Amino acid sequence: MSPLGLLVVGAPRSAAADVESVLALLPPHLPVPVVLALHRGPLDALAAPLGRRCALPVVEPDDKDELRPGCVYLAPAGYHLLVDGSCVALSVEPPEHGQRPGLDALFESAADSHGPRAAGLLFTGHEDGVAGLHVLQARGGRVAVVGARRAGGDGEEGELEQLTPGTVGGWLARLAYVPRSRVQP
Amino acid sequence: MTGPGARGAALEALEVDLLLEGVARQWGFDLRRRSRPQLLRRLRRHLREERLDSFSALQGRVLHEAEALDALLRTLSCTPPALFSEAAFFRDFRTRVVPVLRTWPSVRVWHAGCGTGEDTYALAILLHEEGLWGRCRLYASDVSEGLLADARTGVLPLPTPEDARRYAEAGGKGALSDYYTRDGNWALLHPKLRDGIFFTQHNLATDGSFNEFHVIVCRDTLLAFNRAMHDHVHGRLFESLARFGFLCLGRKESVARTPHAGAYEALEDCGRIYRRVG
Repeated sequence: MSPLGLLVVGAPRSAAADVESVLALLPPHLPVPVVLALHRGPLDALAAPLGRRCALPVVEPDDKDELRPGCVYLAPAGYHLLVDGSCVALSVEPPEHGQRPGLDALFESAADSHGPRAAGLLFTGHEDGVAGLHVLQARGGRVAVVGARRAGGDGEEGELEQLTPGTVGGWLARLAYVPRSRVQP
Repeated sequence: MTGPGARGAALEALEVDLLLEGVARQWGFDLRRRSRPQLLRRLRRHLREERLDSFSALQGRVLHEAEALDALLRTLSCTPPALFSEAAFFRDFRTRVVPVLRTWPSVRVWHAGCGTGEDTYALAILLHEEGLWGRCRLYASDVSEGLLADARTGVLPLPTPEDARRYAEAGGKGALSDYYTRDGNWALLHPKLRDGIFFTQHNLATDGSFNEFHVIVCRDTLLAFNRAMHDHVHGRLFESLARFGFLCLGRKESVARTPHAGAYEALEDCGRIYRRVG
């Protein structure tokens, strides 16, 4: 397995509370950046509530900001958030699935720029994100979906690893540390 | 890990590189310094819309047909589809920039990356309402002739009640419908607005400065470029902006890491409007 360079998380608006819980599980010295797209309206203030219980800073990046390990980058309202190597790239392409920020866009860009060095986590509840997560999986990224039960796009999500809010912690722990310990003799 | 996905990705990347090289050499449009993730997404969408199987097929078409190139440039452009798309910007412009413009005898404004002109017309309406239209020269540029041709017609999809609400939120002093005549589902903007705008083809990536301006509006246009080109274009914008002139960027754009960051001061408590002080 390639060493992990990036964790991307996508979630519909209905999963905001679950996202907050998962961010709270992230260790304070996470060695990779976290890039997060959450469906949102133009006026939702999200960075502060999401960061309340998170050990890492949660920021809404400007275009072309550098990605630093141990920081959570939240897609700003009205922009798609894309990953471009070691930077973020914002985009005003039209909304997809009625959403901007969109989840497919983020997963697709992570697949292009990091491939097997990216891990993707999608919270269920919306059709957006499923296709992008499959692209990331096809490029060798480690992916999983989180939901209390299978909701929406049942058939399409069939071959993806299913997690519950209770088992995400274990999945994240394996991601962050196993690959690194393998590359460090 | 080299699965079929990774091999497909490598081949796609090669095809994209060849396509961009071809476009640059045949048409002089250098798309290689675009923001790669956005470019890839737009190109893939274009491929689906054109019902082509590969970028190699697209390359064949684009090299031989000028119309195919313009269709491609059109897909790559992402300008707002409605008037006053971001009310907060126009409100800040009205309250913070307009009072300064009033004190100047004449004002040259450049809207760089105007696309089909929605924001240009919104700006024209604002300047008109503030009594500045008579001494303003508004230049609007885009790289795509096709988009400019649309912009020059002064015909837009009929504004929705939502557009009218944003117009009011932006400090609009009348009714948005005062500025156009309805024709079915279309709005014909008043000729006094349209005829006062100089639409001109200009490629930010390759063309130099073409005048000195007091205001440059370039909002979310530079998102389409990669870091190197973004900084290069900022150099052009800087050269084109008069001292004490205003540079208006998108809500999530910044001059912070550009070569001329030190020459700008951000206006306090408003979006991303900078004043050139150095």
